Amino acid sequence: MVKGKRKPLEEIRAALAPYNKVLVTGCGGCVSVCLAGGQKEVNLLMDDLKMLFKQANTPKHLKGYTVERQCNRQFLAELDELAPQAECLVSMACGAGVQYLAERFPNMPVFPAINTIAIGVDREIGIYEEKCRACGECVLAYTGGICPVTRCAKCLFNGPCGGTNKGMCEISNDIPCAWYDIYNRLKDQKRLGDILKIQTPMEWRNQTQRTVIQEGYEKRYAGR
Amino acid sequence: MTEQKSAAVDTAEVKRMLDKHKAKMKMSLSLCAHCSLCAESCFLFNARNKDPKYMPSYKFINSIGKIYKKKGKVDKAMLEEISVNAWKRCVLCTRCYCPFGIDIPDMIALARSICRSQGVFPQYDE
Repeated sequence: MVKGKRKPLEEIRAALAPYNKVLVTGCGGCVSVCLAGGQKEVNLLMDDLKMLFKQANTPKHLKGYTVERQCNRQFLAELDELAPQAECLVSMACGAGVQYLAERFPNMPVFPAINTIAIGVDREIGIYEEKCRACGECVLAYTGGICPVTRCAKCLFNGPCGGTNKGMCEISNDIPCAWYDIYNRLKDQKRLGDILKIQTPMEWRNQTQRTVIQEGYEKRYAGR
Repeated sequence: MTEQKSAAVDTAEVKRMLDKHKAKMKMSLSLCAHCSLCAESCFLFNARNKDPKYMPSYKFINSIGKIYKKKGKVDKAMLEEISVNAWKRCVLCTRCYCPFGIDIPDMIALARSICRSQGVFPQYDE
């Protein structure tokens, strides 16, 4: 799932300074699970902002509302009545949700309250670890289920660089070398042959906005 | 509507939310023929050994249907009970199919909104 972290309060406060009526919108999806932008976090942010604005003698009218998912048009429709009553919107969704919200209310300023960090896993409650960078060219099949794009500092596709040091990465002794782990896992699975084939480098610069149309739906969305 | 709520349920607010969607809700609840065709399209139903409690029709009748039947006069305990059907048994993937055109996800989303308005929602840090 998408993982996020709340922006510094000061950054959110500064963005909202010119506005008096603010609608803080939460998202009941991924950001709820990672404790960054769900209903509970909307309540907390509103409490923090109310106190901050009160202390600065600039009280504002803040309202909060959490929709089930900000990345879904059907659920965003719930805000159609509420949003125009505000002067600006704060979105506690991931970057996708913020943009979909802004697209639905194009005449309103929309401010993100979350920094979208990663696609990751839940290690523990409150600890989330990046696992995927949505590069669009998954190589996990031959890297033993360890992602070199996410885990390797240089995103190398064909073995470690010269900086690998006793299983750790040259950028920090606390960061395991992805390729060291890939090698060991494949060795245990007796699949070392998988990494002998040279993989072509990723063409990062050719990446443009991607849209996914699943197999079987091509006809329905032809021309989009 | 995500302000912190007290233990008591604001039934007037629940009634107001129900009234806003009354026509669609009433039609959806009366249209359901219990044909169970929606069940096959629910991946959770299939993944839970076809447990009838995961049937989309069961979930919407036992969430928004219950609130509607009670005309909004629900208590916190009932909302907590409803939240099991609205959240734990449904991920709102919006893929359920109804041959009569009932918008089941919309109905379950409404049940969720009502629960949220009264401070009942999933706690992911517990």
